[in-house]
Amino acid sequence: MIREALAGKRVLITGVTGFLGQAVLERVLSELPETRVIALVRPRGRRSGRDRLVQLADKPVLARWRERVGSHEARRVLTEDVEVVQGDLDAPPRLPGDLDVVLHCAAAVAFDPPIDEGCANNIEGPVNLYRALRQSGARPHVVHVSTAYVAGDRKGVIDEAPLAHHIDWRAELTAARQARPDAERASREPRRLEAWQHQASKVHRKAGPQTTAGDVERRRVDWVEQRLVDAGRARAQSLGWPDVYTLTKALGERAAEQMAGGATDGPTRPADAHASGEQALALPLSIVRPSIVESALRHPYPGWIDGFKMAEPLIIAYGRGVLPEFPGIPEGVVDFIPVDLVACGLLAVAAQPPEAGAPAYYHISSGSRNPLTFNRMYELVRDYFRAHPMPQRDFGEASVPEWSFPGRGWVERRLGLAERAVATADRVVTRLPRSTRTRGWMSRIHQRRRQVEFLRRYADLYAAYAEAEVIYTDDRAHRLHQQLPAEERDAFGFDAADIDWREYLQDIHCPSVTAPMRHTSPRVEPRTPRPEPAEQPVMAVFDLEGTLLASNVIEGYLWLRLADLPARDWPGELAGVARSLPKYLATERRDRSAFLREVYRRYAGASLAGLQQLVAEEASDLLLSRVSPAGLRQVRAHRACGHHTVLLTGALDVLVEPLRPLFDEVVAARLGVRDGRCTGYLAEPPVVGEARAEWLTHRAARLAADLRGSYAYGDSHSDLPLLERVGNPVVVNPDPALYQTARARRWPIERWQHAGGGRVALPAPAAAGRAAPGATMRAGP
Amino acid sequence: MSRPGMVLEVDERTPPLLVHAGESVHLQQFPLGTRVVYPPDSLPGVGDVDAAIHTALESPHDSPPLRELLWPGMRLTIAFDDISVPLPPMRPPDVRQRVIEAVLEQAAAIGVDDVELISAIALHRRMTPEEMKAVVGERVFRSFWPERLRNHDAEDPNGLAYLGQTDHGEAVEINRRAAESDLLVYVNVTYVAMNGGHKSVPVGLASYRSLQPHHNVGVVRHSAFNDPPQSAMHHSYQRMGAVVADHVRVFTVETTVNNDPFPEQLGFLNKREWEWGVGDQARYLALRRANALAPTAVRHKVWQATRAPYQITGVNAGATDPVHERTLATLYRQQLTEVDGQSDVLIFGLPYLCPYNVDSIMNPILVMCLGLGYFFNMYRNRPLVRQGGALIMFHPVPWEFHQVHHPSYVDFFEEVLAETTDPAQIESKFEAQYATDPWYVHLYRNSHAYHGVHPFYMWYWGAKALSHLSEVIVVGGDRRSCARMGFRSASTFNDALEMAADSVGHSPSLTYLHNPPLSMGEVR
Repeated sequence: MIREALAGKRVLITGVTGFLGQAVLERVLSELPETRVIALVRPRGRRSGRDRLVQLADKPVLARWRERVGSHEARRVLTEDVEVVQGDLDAPPRLPGDLDVVLHCAAAVAFDPPIDEGCANNIEGPVNLYRALRQSGARPHVVHVSTAYVAGDRKGVIDEAPLAHHIDWRAELTAARQARPDAERASREPRRLEAWQHQASKVHRKAGPQTTAGDVERRRVDWVEQRLVDAGRARAQSLGWPDVYTLTKALGERAAEQMAGGATDGPTRPADAHASGEQALALPLSIVRPSIVESALRHPYPGWIDGFKMAEPLIIAYGRGVLPEFPGIPEGVVDFIPVDLVACGLLAVAAQPPEAGAPAYYHISSGSRNPLTFNRMYELVRDYFRAHPMPQRDFGEASVPEWSFPGRGWVERRLGLAERAVATADRVVTRLPRSTRTRGWMSRIHQRRRQVEFLRRYADLYAAYAEAEVIYTDDRAHRLHQQLPAEERDAFGFDAADIDWREYLQDIHCPSVTAPMRHTSPRVEPRTPRPEPAEQPVMAVFDLEGTLLASNVIEGYLWLRLADLPARDWPGELAGVARSLPKYLATERRDRSAFLREVYRRYAGASLAGLQQLVAEEASDLLLSRVSPAGLRQVRAHRACGHHTVLLTGALDVLVEPLRPLFDEVVAARLGVRDGRCTGYLAEPPVVGEARAEWLTHRAARLAADLRGSYAYGDSHSDLPLLERVGNPVVVNPDPALYQTARARRWPIERWQHAGGGRVALPAPAAAGRAAPGATMRAGP
Repeated sequence: MSRPGMVLEVDERTPPLLVHAGESVHLQQFPLGTRVVYPPDSLPGVGDVDAAIHTALESPHDSPPLRELLWPGMRLTIAFDDISVPLPPMRPPDVRQRVIEAVLEQAAAIGVDDVELISAIALHRRMTPEEMKAVVGERVFRSFWPERLRNHDAEDPNGLAYLGQTDHGEAVEINRRAAESDLLVYVNVTYVAMNGGHKSVPVGLASYRSLQPHHNVGVVRHSAFNDPPQSAMHHSYQRMGAVVADHVRVFTVETTVNNDPFPEQLGFLNKREWEWGVGDQARYLALRRANALAPTAVRHKVWQATRAPYQITGVNAGATDPVHERTLATLYRQQLTEVDGQSDVLIFGLPYLCPYNVDSIMNPILVMCLGLGYFFNMYRNRPLVRQGGALIMFHPVPWEFHQVHHPSYVDFFEEVLAETTDPAQIESKFEAQYATDPWYVHLYRNSHAYHGVHPFYMWYWGAKALSHLSEVIVVGGDRRSCARMGFRSASTFNDALEMAADSVGHSPSLTYLHNPPLSMGEVR
């Protein structure tokens, strides 16, 4: 029946590189050599439509066919025999005028796209296809792939028939198009921008205004997307569909019916339609509605699947033991259908065109004649994982939870609780001082948050499918199957009653989808790149405080000040610093640069030569006792490779003098001096935050250095702009904010031990016999 | 005359014996038949030290009196041992201060103006002003610091003088000021036999280049440090000393101390255990308790602040060789005990202090050096333990470093030992890199850091023991630190014996080299 009907026919397939399209192509190439395939393929990046098609020759879907015909022949067929029409349905190219069949498999299967994207893909796409067909002059049989779930939120039995609704798809399309400009406009309202500014500056204030601005814009763009997604879901649910995917697929069907039935145009470009002089001729149209398409039952081989579809992430998550419960009705039917049954069904439908103007409807689904209940599926999957547990990294094998189907409300409450707990933990821990323990907590919270986000996403998206109390009848598709002659049943059989669910889930589907996840390689933490000699000059920039040195400017001040004072004057000085401490800390949180200026005011009146001597005699050893040996080794490794090593710090230049021999260049704060005494003001603004990034860019240009090959080491969120500029950023003992960024961007995180870290180191008091104690550093303000 | 040393054989009546383990001491029951080597009791001092110094300077060995070697307008340099000796540092006044003051008095009387004092630190860390003051005394410090009293700088290109080669081709390069003086007076304190003699000038004032000929794995493996006639290293010193003598007149003043390292309240540490009185027992318990209660930092501080009430047992001056011969004789009289034959296992407890962590931290490499370099070598004739025997030492070996004093040690431990512990491989693969690293050189010259190559020497110091022994077990040692160094750590002494059974069987002969006080075996 199929062979005969399609022999010598010219068949256009859209979406041929997609999951279903590949399966259809495989069936045609393997079983229908006399059928001519025309593929509509969009170019992607540098790859042309033809390249993308030919690449299919090496994919698993064509493995069996390739083995049979030889890989040379396989490539030849895809290069020569299959015609390629390059383009996509946003603006379809001219189609051949002699098409006999169109298999419209192209679709975007994201359930919650922004409303305008959903409409563009699932309504405008088909509309454009029909218009292009009309313009080509061809009158092919169009097989329009939809989904069983176009029926929307309904209960009971759904027949293979036109959808009963009166929604004006043109109006929905127009509204959807308008949603984006509206959202864009709304996103620019001052109160929104101010709110984002407020949130972003809380996180990025230390890093500087440019970083903050970048974050505000990111938040705005994310907001627009989210608003469009929400708009889609809300609109769908207001009309009785669970999500924008099913709504737009339903409207797409209506558009197809109208366009194929002779409607002259959509609202897309009314002018074009008239100009091109389209003829309002009806096309034979078959609408095929598969249910949840999963891995192959037989063809090209049992278990074939291309990427993860709907149920896989959940199956894997369950197998890993991280899905404690899921909303769902145990008696509800989970309507799975293997992809090859859908492909074969499509070809069978293609072989039997209906009358033009009288569309035919088919459900390709399992729920009616071979139902799989949610509970049964759960048991089969659970037993599969009990027999074949998933390995866990470093912890043996995962044990799978027992579900009790407590209902949506319970799951919802638990999830809400978990979300709040994670958010609270996150808020608390980012305010804690940095330490190995804090980082350990953060990494656990990070993991937990990802888990909760995953659960939330899947619970929201898929709950409707797991709670469906609906049966899609497939009498018509079944009748079609019955007409298949016995000799075609092996190659094209698509009877869902053939599926043995135990065998399918436990021997075919689960093994196939878990196979790639079963290799447990040890977790690969990003490693600090080993310095290598390079041809172009390379810079290695090191932050000092917190990175190379376990100390800060206040401690540095105390080293000098206390070393200059006899012990009896220490309490007064220490009390003075302690009094200013809250003010300093507050300033530091707000603005690093202002903080430095404030602390350095304490040096007003100090003798520069005296400071230098104090550093040489007292502070030098204190400083060296607080540096990280691993950090120094890294500096020297860079030097050994000929890199231009830079110490970039807000600390005083006199104080970092002992480290100068390690670096090619030291950029530090310089105190203004008049008559040999410090003025308490800086000679120039300190290089902190974003100024560091600018400094680096400027310096790299002067040195003709390659920033992508360069290195930067920093510990604080304020180093972020600097780290972002180089190709090899390394985060050292990070503060919580930087830690999170580093984890997200997979930057290497170093834990450099600092000797005596944590405690304040104090110098020996000035000897009693010293000529003029306190003379070097006159008391600060 | 003090009581001679003895070898005790442990029997049923033997009480638990004192063992040093870092900053703690404890009483350990030894298996029956263990031989315990005790040194002779502390020798009495010379009485009036200043008078002894005066006598030595006035009637030196094979030399005219110091007075006759001085003249107005001459260049006089006084070099002296640094704080690495004696251990623990002695109570003030330091004997070096007394000798230096005596020399300076004579020089002043004769009208010598061009006088400089140099601490012979070789590649050790520079002494701080306070440490310098403790060694030379307040008066000398005030007059000479910092221009005319300073640390030797082995990396100062202008401060070194190349004196030529020995007949073995060994380069001799020492401090320029010392080499170009009309008289070089060397003031020494000897408390172990490996020091003094020609180790003073050609080593203490040398450059890296001039240390290489004897501070290497090959020479160390052929050296019994405390038995100079059997030490390739001392032969090299001797040859270099001859080259030095061709260029500059050296007037050596050597002093020896007795075996009183601990102050009165810790006096029981110096006693044989069966002679402890009730007071000693009480003080032992008090020490244990205080040690257990004190935070690490406090414990460090207290132990490091310990000053020894040494008595001076001899002052000799004159030509280096005859002086050193007398020094050694005194020293052996104090430390040497005759031991009959080698044993399968040698045992000792390591104290908290070695020459390189005065006012500092005893890092794992120093533990290795103290055990395998110094204590293993406390013998004359042949080692206390047989070839292929086992060594059991007591020390906590914390993974701890002083970053200012031992920066290259940190890297040596992290980088070099992580790759290999074989001294010869370490020498060929890493020594040059560390020795010439500009950052280490900078720290040695400007901060208070041991030279970059110093941890290598520490490791080489143990090279002979490493090839002699089949097993090193550290009781109470930090597992990670010990493993990094290729040693095994045992929780208890009995476990250590059990572990040693692999190499020496289940009933090995045991020798415990009792410490404190310092003892040395004359092995027949």
